[in-house]
Amino acid sequence: MPKRPKIICITGGKGGTGKTLVAVNLATMFRNEGKRVLLIDGDVENPNTFLLLGAKLENKKSVPFFKPKINEEKCTKCGLCAENCTSHALLYIKDSYPIPILTVCSGCRLCYKICPTEAIETDYKTIGWTYSTNIDGISLLIGELKPTEARSAAIVEDLLDTLDEIIKKNPKKFDIILLDTAPGAHCDVELLINKADIIVPVTEPTKFGKLDLIRIIELIELLNKDYRAIVNRSSLLGYRDQFLEELKKKNIKILGDIPLDDDIVNSYCQGKPLMAKKSEFKGGEGYNSFQKIFENLKTWLKNND
Amino acid sequence: MVIIAVPSFGQGGLNEIMNPRFGRCESFTFITIEDKSIKEVKAVTNVGSDSMGGAGIQAAQTVGNHGATEVIVGNLGPNAAQSLSALNLKIYQAPNEKLTVKQIVELYLEGKLKQITGSNVGAHFGMGGGGGMGGGRGMGGGRGRGGGRNF
Repeated sequence: MPKRPKIICITGGKGGTGKTLVAVNLATMFRNEGKRVLLIDGDVENPNTFLLLGAKLENKKSVPFFKPKINEEKCTKCGLCAENCTSHALLYIKDSYPIPILTVCSGCRLCYKICPTEAIETDYKTIGWTYSTNIDGISLLIGELKPTEARSAAIVEDLLDTLDEIIKKNPKKFDIILLDTAPGAHCDVELLINKADIIVPVTEPTKFGKLDLIRIIELIELLNKDYRAIVNRSSLLGYRDQFLEELKKKNIKILGDIPLDDDIVNSYCQGKPLMAKKSEFKGGEGYNSFQKIFENLKTWLKNND
Repeated sequence: MVIIAVPSFGQGGLNEIMNPRFGRCESFTFITIEDKSIKEVKAVTNVGSDSMGGAGIQAAQTVGNHGATEVIVGNLGPNAAQSLSALNLKIYQAPNEKLTVKQIVELYLEGKLKQITGSNVGAHFGMGGGGGMGGGRGMGGGRGRGGGRNF
């Protein structure tokens, strides 16, 4: 089996800490070194990576999700499906056809499997979309959950299935794969962490940031993965040293920190990666901190091999 | 002939208090009406009242399985509303007062209850409330999810 590329997952627990900022700029730095990069945006409720890269959403594909459809010619109105549905998504009144209540259906297909007369047929509804595009040598794969739909993990699974297909078809198509996650420590995030070789949680020097970082590290360790955290906005009101000290006391491993810097805000507002090849921000505090983080990451990757 | 289902406390019955929760009420009282008067009263336990999810759907199932054609409700969640609409049951809104099942049925017979078509509270509104009438929760408004729209 040819070796597949390393997969790095950028996550963090708390929202708004700069996960996407880090993911996009790491992708950009790998690309600058001539690496073929695939960036997967798994924050399916708010996929924003394309904005920071100045890319357009292209190649829209629907993500289908199972829904039961009752074939009234075959249905004997026995009620077995409704009786066994753990989500209570089949409404059954004796002597009448079961009625699917799709808002609570988990898509488990149990009804489809157990119906003695094969009267439950596979139907699909669209719960979101994926997009793929290429921008300045970075391949982007993005998932988007349809508003009002709840099964975001199914979109993430779809993205990971696509990733598996890409690797199976050609393990050498990419040199490095980056996964950007949603905030939180829920199943969407868990799926992405589980797929990766190493994890980079991004946090900020606040009480929320610390608590959520500890939570995400708990999840990372439960999944037996190695991590190094990044502290973003580290110079926030002068809490940097105190915060880093607190993390050290908890034996939390650090990859580096990114200070508050107008350059970062500027690049963010303009939708241009800070670390672009011909970046106007070269030499700035923010730029240098990313460079340092990138060097630390490469050393870690080498040792992880 | 119509059969009205009223969510109730305890074991149910005409003298029991109407329960403002639909999916998670303790019992349903079924009242058969003929020629504008009460002909028969039957009460059943709401088996789904403690279920983790889908209580509204199970309650609608219980109501439907006992032949009800109309339901009087206090608070009605989105899944319950969707289910009752799918079963073509008429839904009436009870006033936000502590009334017995009998008093509610009298209001119904006097034509004083308004028919509604959708849910009037969000999902899981009636969870974990325990007993009591849920003082001053307010039943008005109607978020109007439009029953049966998701089919």
